[in-house]
Amino acid sequence: MERLDLLLLAIEALDLHGSEAMLWSCEQLDLQQPFPDRVALWKTRCRNPLRRASRRGEWSIEEQEGLIRLVCSLSQRLYPMLRQLLSSSEPDELTNQRWALFQERYNDLISERMNLKRGAVRLLLDQKTGAQRRREVVQTLALCAGGAGMQRLGACLMDGY
Amino acid sequence: MNSFGGMALRYEQSSCRLELKGLPDVSAQPQSPSNSELLLSILTSWELNLGQRASLQGKREHLEALVETVLPYVRLMLSGAAYKQTSKSAVVVVAPRGRGHQLQLISSQPNTPPLDLQLDDAELADLTQCLDQMLLDPRQGLSFKQPLLKPKKHQAAAPAMVHSWAAPSAAIAAVALCALVAMLLPIPKPLLPASPQPIERQKP
Repeated sequence: MERLDLLLLAIEALDLHGSEAMLWSCEQLDLQQPFPDRVALWKTRCRNPLRRASRRGEWSIEEQEGLIRLVCSLSQRLYPMLRQLLSSSEPDELTNQRWALFQERYNDLISERMNLKRGAVRLLLDQKTGAQRRREVVQTLALCAGGAGMQRLGACLMDGY
Repeated sequence: MNSFGGMALRYEQSSCRLELKGLPDVSAQPQSPSNSELLLSILTSWELNLGQRASLQGKREHLEALVETVLPYVRLMLSGAAYKQTSKSAVVVVAPRGRGHQLQLISSQPNTPPLDLQLDDAELADLTQCLDQMLLDPRQGLSFKQPLLKPKKHQAAAPAMVHSWAAPSAAIAAVALCALVAMLLPIPKPLLPASPQPIERQKP
């Protein structure tokens, strides 16, 4: 639950119009049943217990599958950007600038929406562990992009990682 | 399709290009009446181009080995538990190395040393995308065996059940054994109270 929401948060950090892209993708992927509008999507994401205003309850299978499809579809859209971040053949200076920009946006979104009293959230914002967590998030998005990524992401979420 | 009836399918990413060449199986029935297009069902050759670093060619078995090794490795990597994966025929090995990944390809040609490549995360993602696109392509009918991407918990279900039953079973057996031993012990006979002895009164 936490991981999917953090992946969506990373997508928002990578794409300034990420939240609009999510709504548009919901229409394109025919996900209007679980997420008919912006509020329904926001309520579903608020089930993440790390959220500042967390809502009780579990996701239904339909909601979980919908979010997995949404993450994989948006990752495919952002794949060139994800690739640039992960590539070692890009100039170091440029790569560092890209990571710094991503870090700034991602940490801002976390500070704005997550409960900063939680240890897991503090680890995300930590200087030492945060960089590794951000890299893992970008790696996950790059490796689960596209249609076949859904099965992979679904299986790894079942691991509880 | 070329003039000889051969087919070629190509999947491209920034650092990776996979090309399949083959022939349609004209004797096979079309999958559905509406879909009368011929599928690439007989693979004659394939080529994987990893930028300027390497160009690999091989038979169907080698491509299958690449699929059965790379995709499970990526799956485990997503769970933060990537470890060395070797294909059944031991021609492809993928393992974590440093901040990247080692892709080792062992040639079937004699006197040819194995090709050892270091891939970064972006190159691994490109390779995964190419393999995914190939497996999902409706134009190919190669019916590759797709690696199972089960959750790790499900794979470990059988030993976990043994572990979960072991402790209660041992406890029940210990209680039963204690009860058996207790039943074998002779029941102590109750001691009869001694008959009262008349107390002789002493004369003052």
